[in-house]
Amino acid sequence: MAHGTTINTAATANRASGFDIERSIVTHRRWLTVMVCLLCASAVVVIGSLRFGAESISYTDVVDIFLLWLRNGPARMESAEPNFMILMYVRLPRIILAFMVGACLATVGVGLQALLRNPLADPYVLGISSGAALGAALAMLIGAGTTIMAMSSLPLFAFIGGLLSIGIVYRIAVSYGHLPVHTLLLAGVVLNAVFSALIMFITSIMDPNRSFGMMSWLMGTLLAPDYPALGALAVYVGVGTTVLATQSTALNILTLGEESARSLGVEVERLKKMIFVIAALLTGAVVSVSGLIGFVGMVIPHAVRLFVGPDHRLLLPASALVGGMFLVIADALARTLLAPSEIPVGVVTALAGGPIFLYLLTRRKGGLAS
Amino acid sequence: MWALIVGVFFAVGPATAYETDDGTMKRRQQGILTGMPFMANVVPRTFVDDLGRKLYLAKEPNRLVSLAPSITETLYAIGLGDRVVGVTEFCDYPPQARSKPKVGYSRPNLETIVALQPDLVLAPRDFIRHDVLAKLEQLKIPTFIVEAKTVEDIASRIQTIGRMLGEPETADRVAMELRRRLMELKARTESLPRPRVLYVLNSQPLITVGPGSFIDQLIGMAGGANIAAGAPSPYPRLSMEAVLAQDPQVIIFPVGTAEGISPAEQTLWRRWNTIAAVKTGSFHEIPSDLLNRPGPRIILGLEKLAEIIHPEQFAPSNFQPGR
Repeated sequence: MAHGTTINTAATANRASGFDIERSIVTHRRWLTVMVCLLCASAVVVIGSLRFGAESISYTDVVDIFLLWLRNGPARMESAEPNFMILMYVRLPRIILAFMVGACLATVGVGLQALLRNPLADPYVLGISSGAALGAALAMLIGAGTTIMAMSSLPLFAFIGGLLSIGIVYRIAVSYGHLPVHTLLLAGVVLNAVFSALIMFITSIMDPNRSFGMMSWLMGTLLAPDYPALGALAVYVGVGTTVLATQSTALNILTLGEESARSLGVEVERLKKMIFVIAALLTGAVVSVSGLIGFVGMVIPHAVRLFVGPDHRLLLPASALVGGMFLVIADALARTLLAPSEIPVGVVTALAGGPIFLYLLTRRKGGLAS
Repeated sequence: MWALIVGVFFAVGPATAYETDDGTMKRRQQGILTGMPFMANVVPRTFVDDLGRKLYLAKEPNRLVSLAPSITETLYAIGLGDRVVGVTEFCDYPPQARSKPKVGYSRPNLETIVALQPDLVLAPRDFIRHDVLAKLEQLKIPTFIVEAKTVEDIASRIQTIGRMLGEPETADRVAMELRRRLMELKARTESLPRPRVLYVLNSQPLITVGPGSFIDQLIGMAGGANIAAGAPSPYPRLSMEAVLAQDPQVIIFPVGTAEGISPAEQTLWRRWNTIAAVKTGSFHEIPSDLLNRPGPRIILGLEKLAEIIHPEQFAPSNFQPGR
């Protein structure tokens, strides 16, 4: 990525909305400043949230446990004491998971919003999430005895569900080789309704004891994954976001409109397909580990765009970090508010994300690019 | 209602002759009735259900629809299986109940119910929907709502249903047997140390039973200490952190009739190797039907629970209520 040059598209996009152009121009220096600030903030949030959970572990204990872990290695420490187990095997993996899930959802949101040039686009609106959730529900119905984190059939089904739904939406919406945005959104809404109905059908034919477990899983749940599962997810997330990041210049040009992008040499249809597949992959991976967590994919890209401007070279990584932070904080709240019991994190994100979004929207009217 | 009858009786006249103080209103009622020749074989016909609704039965109901597995089990336990004409899709005990026509569950099919021409529908308070109940009332189908929040409630509901359906002796016998075994169980567990118990309704996310739930009560009666006792709701999503900190000694998984604890679920729990129950391999399964259904088999569930929590104190039981 070339960070040194200013990008005309960003400036053009903002002129219409009366946005402060100077501030939204991405220079190498500005990119670095923003990213370093956000990385520091992320580190602070992640480390800070280690303190919060159903069991209170003070920061000094946290430090002690980490020192112990560094000195003795992870292997023989398990049977030592519950606090060690809680911190290293419940809380830390969960915080990392929350960060990855949040980053993923925000990245996918940015990609889809750029692609469809519509601020409403997010994995939920387009039906990708409910497709993935339907796949996950089917996996749970079929694999009667297996649990959710068996990490075998479930992510696969979720990915297939996501891909299938985006495929259907795409097939419905595509006409004369083009992809009209409003048809796409409408198709997503309809598909969403159908998939929700199918999920409800599956829960209704399941054993009530188990369907109730599935319902609460679907509400958005961050579990304590083991490290191999976390590693597997990191691979998905890493590949998906990296590929998306390499397309940020193309995404910038795409915001000018498909015709302009085409005349500027962007292979629009190929780009669309690629983004859809990545969106399905990331959403499938995320849904399979966390159920349905709403609002992150829509709110975070908006909020970040208000602050850093619409240039995707900065917007993509910044949204990923902010999305990660947002979900880590939301999950810290979900863990602690009703301790020792928990609130579904999807509830927290929607309750917290909505008002934040409204505030940003009213404070800076017209700041929304595209 | 008793007060009303007694009141009427006082007004009529010779009440004082029978105003013995041999205990409850119920007893007094029996005294009055047996004292009047023309009422000798008449049972009280008005019953109050657990929604406080009065139900007048002109004659003994002969076609019964049960809207809960626990109610079906109660009816069979007091020997009224033959009179049951409709059950829910979950009524699988005793096995004969499976062959009865199905009417649905929380959203029963009203047309099927009407077609079965029941003269009494027995429904659980927790799962009957208000619109369904209103519709049944509108259709003039007598409906009796049952709610049992404690084991004692279960015993008394068995007796109520028995009296309502003309089988008071059998019902009393079943209820007394239940009470006797409950007392016995309580006496045996009272002085024992209380192992910490985790009851896993769902592993991912972890959902367990908290204060206010029926199963939490049962765990206490069986001599265990529920680790989710401090949770704010009856069916909390419990934090794994809390589980690790509370360190349960016994982990109990309710399972369906056929399946056991799945290997995947066991692997999942084995990760937490600081937990006492994991160290000792104390994973136990219990048929969920025995604990989830507030019917006569509850005592079996309770005894099984006690057996799991205090293996050294209890031998396997073989109590079969009813016939």
